[in-house]
Amino acid sequence: MPIYLYLDRRTFIHRLHPTVKILSIFAIFWSVYWVDSPISLLPVGVLLLAGAQLTRAWPNFYSLRWLFILVIFATTLTWIIFYRQGKPLFRVGPLYVSRASLEYGFGRGIKLAELLATSVLFLSTTKVEEFAFGLSEMGVPYRVGFAITLSFRLVPLFIDSALTVVQAQSLRGYDFDSGSLMTRVRRYVPVTVPVFMGALRKANNMAMALEARGFGYSARPTSYVHYEMRPLDIVMLIGMGLLGAAYFLIYYTGYGAIARR
Amino acid sequence: MKSAPESQAGFEPGGAAPQSASSAVTLEDVSFTYRSAQRPALLNVHFNQCAGEMIGVMGAAGTGKSSLARCLNAIIPEFEHGRFQGVVRIHGRGVDGTRVCEMAPTVGMVFQDFEAQLFSTNVAHEVAFAMEQVGLAPMDIRARLGPALAAVGLAGFEDRDPTSLSGGEKQRLAVASVLAAQPSVIVLDEPTTDLDPEGRAEVFDLIRKLRDRGLSLVIVEHETEEMRECDRIVVMRNAQIVAEGPPAQVLADTQLLNECGIRPPGLNLVLAALGIHSHARSVDEAEAIIRSSLHLPENFEPKFDLPQPDGPDAGSASTGVSAPLVEVGNLTHVYGGAVKALDQISLTINPGEFVAIIGQNGSGKTTLAKHVVGLIKPTAGDVRLAGRARTGLRPAEAAALVGYVFQNPDHQIFAATVGEEVAFGPRNFGLPAAEIERRCERVLKAVGLDGMRDKDPFLLGRGERQRLAVASILVLEPKLLILDEPTTGLDYPQQRRMMGLISELNRAGTAIVIITHTPWLVAEYARRAVLMRKGRKLFDGAVRDLFAREDLLGSAAFKVPEVTALSRRFGLVALTADELAGAIRGIR
Repeated sequence: MPIYLYLDRRTFIHRLHPTVKILSIFAIFWSVYWVDSPISLLPVGVLLLAGAQLTRAWPNFYSLRWLFILVIFATTLTWIIFYRQGKPLFRVGPLYVSRASLEYGFGRGIKLAELLATSVLFLSTTKVEEFAFGLSEMGVPYRVGFAITLSFRLVPLFIDSALTVVQAQSLRGYDFDSGSLMTRVRRYVPVTVPVFMGALRKANNMAMALEARGFGYSARPTSYVHYEMRPLDIVMLIGMGLLGAAYFLIYYTGYGAIARR
Repeated sequence: MKSAPESQAGFEPGGAAPQSASSAVTLEDVSFTYRSAQRPALLNVHFNQCAGEMIGVMGAAGTGKSSLARCLNAIIPEFEHGRFQGVVRIHGRGVDGTRVCEMAPTVGMVFQDFEAQLFSTNVAHEVAFAMEQVGLAPMDIRARLGPALAAVGLAGFEDRDPTSLSGGEKQRLAVASVLAAQPSVIVLDEPTTDLDPEGRAEVFDLIRKLRDRGLSLVIVEHETEEMRECDRIVVMRNAQIVAEGPPAQVLADTQLLNECGIRPPGLNLVLAALGIHSHARSVDEAEAIIRSSLHLPENFEPKFDLPQPDGPDAGSASTGVSAPLVEVGNLTHVYGGAVKALDQISLTINPGEFVAIIGQNGSGKTTLAKHVVGLIKPTAGDVRLAGRARTGLRPAEAAALVGYVFQNPDHQIFAATVGEEVAFGPRNFGLPAAEIERRCERVLKAVGLDGMRDKDPFLLGRGERQRLAVASILVLEPKLLILDEPTTGLDYPQQRRMMGLISELNRAGTAIVIITHTPWLVAEYARRAVLMRKGRKLFDGAVRDLFAREDLLGSAAFKVPEVTALSRRFGLVALTADELAGAIRGIR
């Protein structure tokens, strides 16, 4: 079970200031927000692929390949059902296949995949502690940053315990794949109860251990890792600013939209 | 008894500690009742610890050991709320009103649950954590990091992910992260309960080193052998301290220990059974005491056959007549395409057997058991149950042949009542209501939970929850019951009760396989042992034969019980204290 996406590669992207990395996420999210057509999303896609190549983060993308495929496919399909614009090429049941609905659906899929890819790239190159440091540099309270750090620690623990619970219950004849929707929901109880009870116990133990280790002593604890802004960080920031501005311009001029023919 | 070091030189413990003060910790007439509880967890407790002293706190579950420990860094009453009375002083200074976090530079605390006390994604960050919290400058943090990691033997681990460490390493990391804040008192609350023997040994080696550095140590612990090295032992019962003194005095009183739910050290049990009221710190010492007390000549090595215990002292080809319950043939399992967890294992389990599977963590014990119950599919080889291929059995058929009780009962308990919990399995398999009722009644009686049918399982104690977990598998009436570390987290009386239950089931005809790390459990209860190392089977045969093979056990980092080690000095392989004492009396 992969616990963190972080890959210890020490490329120039890894070494960027954490705040710059966080702002870069925002810039990319901002950019794809404004446009819909697949073609206008292409530059960001190329940028992300280049990022994956530069950081050698392919293993992470490979292990998440089905998620990417699913996101693109399911989104496209959904919008072909609901986006009923343009002249239909053909219709099958609820599917309304037109050039516009195809473009719009596929664009949406690509957009989601790009958001996902940005996050994967960020997590592949940023330690959780760096993330927290970046947030605190941006003025986010220490406790908020720390809560994010901690959630990264906890999620795998809970997944682990959920897997064990499923195994334990399956030996008692537990099978949540059968029955009607309501039975299925009820069938989750034997898994969710032990997992949540375990989580509560763990959370209490953790809170105790945290305080015993001095958590809460100071509102702004020191940080033993420290990052200075370097020229490359500034270049990156400017580049990302330009990207965001360019995409706003594409939106403003109407080039990023879908033709509703 | 080792005397407490006079100075605290070496690790520069806590700046707040006035060097002149001889008391590190004082509790004056402390009582505490948890908010939701009826009875007090601590009642008029007086406790004093000299600087540099190593104190062991022992007692059965729920007697107030952990509560005592939690008073020392203000978790009681600042984190755990309730009615608190009395005074706690650290280095002569009252801690009334001090927040838990403010205690970190003075009193460090290591908990049992190592998963819940590691918060970071790499070892260096983990150690830096407490120092960051108290506002140490980054330069100073870096200066303390190295020594703290070196002190626990984790130098060079800085970039490792804590989740990738072994249990012992995780617990040592927790100690390092506490140590870095340079407290003068360190409290360890059952630090080795969840560890295998290797991990335990690592942690106790470390504890010895900390003592040599002049730190004041309070250790809450169930196992007695390791506690012999304490300067003083405090015994708790019913929220009070009922005995305290040097180990030679407290641990020699086997009657007191039994009354307080503490397992007496095996060596002392042998001495007591021979009518010698004394305390042995090691096998060497026990041998010397016995030889001198009983006037045995130095070179006296009797030729003496031990009486065979009842039942077949069986090897793998035991009861013979009926067909085997489990046949594992050339089983290999590879995790994630790389790690060979099982390597060509073959194993047969016959009806009515009592088998212990032993070996270090990662030796493949649990993986093997999970193959038998079908939770994992083999990479190569096959598993047959009652002569049929495991894969060809329907879930209900398999469940009627083999049951598996997970280590942690909380991984399966979910129902609103004990009765519902037990009925869950048979209902899933579609048994008729009358049959379910009959089985529930029988099973709850067998595990001693009859009369608790309508109770909320979450309100039961750990020992009761463990028995409930056994009941909820037992109700499927398997012919073989596999229990993964059934005594972990239980105190001595609960361990005895659990093992008594398992033995009874075995006598009634259920075959038993236990996976365990605890040597005396194997010695006293199992008849056949399977020793595993790195996915291979090193030994399969009678427990007594295995315990005679020190070469094999050594290579798998398994220590025989001290009683057995002592018996070897007299040319025997005894499994229990009574057996050995009887044999020696026979010699005389």
